[in-house]
Amino acid sequence: MADKNYSSADDAALVRDAQKGDMAAFEELVVRHRDKLYARAFSMMRNEQEAIDLSQEAWVKGWQRLNQFHGDSSFATWMTRIVINLCLDQLRKNKRHRAESIEEMDEESGGVERQMPAVVVNPTERLERGELRQRIDKALGQLSEEHRTVLVLHEFEELEYKEIAKTVGCSIGTVMSRLFYARRKLAALLADLKKEN
Amino acid sequence: MNTEQQLKLQAFLDGELPEREARDVAAWLAQDKDATALLMELRNTRQALGGFEPEIRLPETREFYWSKIQREIQRLEPATPKKEAVPFSFWFWRLLIPAGAAALLAIAGLFAFLKLNPSSNPGAEMATMLADANPVTYRDQAEGMTVVWLSYPAEKEFTANSSGGRLP
Repeated sequence: MADKNYSSADDAALVRDAQKGDMAAFEELVVRHRDKLYARAFSMMRNEQEAIDLSQEAWVKGWQRLNQFHGDSSFATWMTRIVINLCLDQLRKNKRHRAESIEEMDEESGGVERQMPAVVVNPTERLERGELRQRIDKALGQLSEEHRTVLVLHEFEELEYKEIAKTVGCSIGTVMSRLFYARRKLAALLADLKKEN
Repeated sequence: MNTEQQLKLQAFLDGELPEREARDVAAWLAQDKDATALLMELRNTRQALGGFEPEIRLPETREFYWSKIQREIQRLEPATPKKEAVPFSFWFWRLLIPAGAAALLAIAGLFAFLKLNPSSNPGAEMATMLADANPVTYRDQAEGMTVVWLSYPAEKEFTANSSGGRLP
């Protein structure tokens, strides 16, 4: 086992080895996909430590359930779904521990952004890559968990409306409404950030 | 623009509308400047998000991150990954299909062999000789026919009769 060259093996071969109990093969899979899993957790949770903990928990669950992976999707996609489900569970737990604010109730129904005029000039034009990333990061942090979750699942995970509805446990109409609101608020936030500068 | 129209515009952008409705929205966009502006805003936001996530990097070293995962795996499960209960249907199909295919091949092979080389059929001709009565049994399984040939005592009788000058 020690002589195996894991770095040159493809994911499928590493998964097969890991399914037989080879932890070094699993470690290589962790090394390859750790950033993606962490990024997905961070996009949803907006908290560095929570994102690290949840992504690690996802890897532990991945190891325990390896025999359920039959290669229907890529290994990275399979692992990403595990971390998304863990994040959703954690968000539900967090929500139970705090009272819903008036602002959040307003967001659920659409808020003022629904009726505001469209931002006709692209506020992210001519921005450096790093600067754009910082602005989006800040704007995403200002969205509610519900809206951010739908936005992340649609834009980063590229799920369709019905898949998001199934994952989150709400209607397709709610998904569409939350996504629309999230995009509009993000556009407004990015426009405001531009004015600040 | 009402909420339904706004959401339809978004569904158009996301490719979630049926073809006919998408054509209707495209026609509407050609006439409505507000709808066009809103579509542009939604599109710009989507594009801005496009390259965002790949930039996020795990803020821990590989060794430290992995060591916590490894410890937790070993704490929960010191040996190899637990074998999940495999459903019966999995084994049924996994074993039945190759076994069935092998059986079919064997039958087909035997059938072809017998057709091409009937003399090799072990059941086609079978003679049984009994020491005392000297009967000969001929059995052709292909024809479904059995003939028993008894030469004794008919032969002796014939011999006795013939010695007396009378034919039977």
